[in-house]
Amino acid sequence: MSKSAPHHEPLVQFKSASLGYAGRAVLTGVDLSVEREAFVGVLGPNGAGKSTILKTMLGLIPPVKGHLKLTGSSFGLPRFGYVPQKEKLDVIYPLTVREVAAMGTYRRFELFARLRGRSHDDLVRRSLKECGALDLSERRYSDLSGGQRQRVLIARALAAEPELLVLDEPLAGIDVPTQKALLKLFKDFKEQKGLTVLMVSHRLQAERDLFTHIAWVQEGKAEFGPAERMLASRHITEIFGDDQ
Amino acid sequence: MSQLLSMLSPDFLLHHALYGSVVVGFVCPLVGVYFVLRRLIFWGVALPQVSAAGIAFAFMLQGFGLALFAGGEAGEKHLAILGSVVFTVGAILALTYMEHRFPQGLGEGRVGTLYALAAAAAILFVAWNAQGETEMLSLLKGEIVTISESDFHAMLDILLAVCAAMFLFQREFLLVSYDRDMAVTLGRSAAVWDGLLYLLIGVTISLGVMTVGPLVIFGLLVVPTMIALPWARGMTSLSVLSSLVGGLSAFAGFYFSYRFDLPLGPLIVLALCALLAGSSLLRALAPHRTR
Repeated sequence: MSKSAPHHEPLVQFKSASLGYAGRAVLTGVDLSVEREAFVGVLGPNGAGKSTILKTMLGLIPPVKGHLKLTGSSFGLPRFGYVPQKEKLDVIYPLTVREVAAMGTYRRFELFARLRGRSHDDLVRRSLKECGALDLSERRYSDLSGGQRQRVLIARALAAEPELLVLDEPLAGIDVPTQKALLKLFKDFKEQKGLTVLMVSHRLQAERDLFTHIAWVQEGKAEFGPAERMLASRHITEIFGDDQ
Repeated sequence: MSQLLSMLSPDFLLHHALYGSVVVGFVCPLVGVYFVLRRLIFWGVALPQVSAAGIAFAFMLQGFGLALFAGGEAGEKHLAILGSVVFTVGAILALTYMEHRFPQGLGEGRVGTLYALAAAAAILFVAWNAQGETEMLSLLKGEIVTISESDFHAMLDILLAVCAAMFLFQREFLLVSYDRDMAVTLGRSAAVWDGLLYLLIGVTISLGVMTVGPLVIFGLLVVPTMIALPWARGMTSLSVLSSLVGGLSAFAGFYFSYRFDLPLGPLIVLALCALLAGSSLLRALAPHRTR
């Protein structure tokens, strides 16, 4: 991984990469780049390998082969704001919404600031407010609905002041009105904040208009290109249908 | 009542034993919350037993004439603590490695096997060291009544350091426990923070087992958190509540042990269980339950 950080370079660049687990590739020939201010959709059926791309990009697993170049302002790496699938977080923890959102600010050690009682309350409050979750601050995270939890996790990612917001299936298991509200939020991130976003999804519905680029993952391969070209391609239409 | 007052007097003959039990009661739940939240409750059963095996191993070595520390009885205890810490931290590292290396395996089966192995090893180590058997058995039962002034102060210093570290690094321990992937994406080393947490757990269990015995340590690791969990709102609240419950139970156990001349360990466990029953009843009766 490269650690240089010129501003014009893509934040993430896979070149002829093979990705997988324990040295065994599940995806080969991955060419994908995330330019600044792009909104990239990583799409494909369940089990196709979308999460493998995501985990490799986030540094959770190494690439099996090929090249992954990350560029950004945090020691040469992008500042990620990661929104995992909400089911991955154990609700046994008695955490308040504010505590969950504050985790986004835990990038730095800040021992002395901590000893002096300084925190990032303003940033956390601002992030919760942007996601419409400020009034939930003192509630237990485990008591919230799926849509409320998703808002809190997005606020947590925003509190990390990300260069690249990574959303893993953010609309899964959420009722339609909340999906619409979240899509509006993502649209604001794109149009008003100029955030770079990468969103993993196994479906292609209302969010299709947000994407500037799409990576289509299927049968051990990942095809990447501008959204217009990818949405016009025959196999995506076949999989998702014309009515979407 | 007069016995309670005499216990609280600075001239109380067993004041080191009382303070030692209460301090262990306060500190054990601080590491125990991570056993419960990480859903590693069976580790709480196995690790005190491993710690006991470490103590037995150290005594066996001394029986064979290997004395690493000078100073007679004090040296023996220091070697026992060393054996206990090495065994406990070693077992935690081995279990963690297995969890990562074979994530699809049966984790509970490994912990159960470790428990059986540790129990068997402890018995064998004692059998091979007939001379030290009596002293070792009293240590395994947690004979805090015999704790010396210097041992008490050393234990107090170490447990206070553990306590400070648990609060100072709470957000790191919480982050790697709650969302390890998030920790990695924020550039935090999950392995380093897990390692430090495991070391603190190992030291606390080792000192606790030598103070009040394996049975009580399991109780203090798990039950206070179970009592506090439904009432807590936030991680600090959970830690403080659990710690208070542990300390209070240890004090109550000590009082009844002194009052009725009964063994301390089982009375601490009974006090914990009574508090758990009371807490569950309150939850059932409360009009607005937190969970």
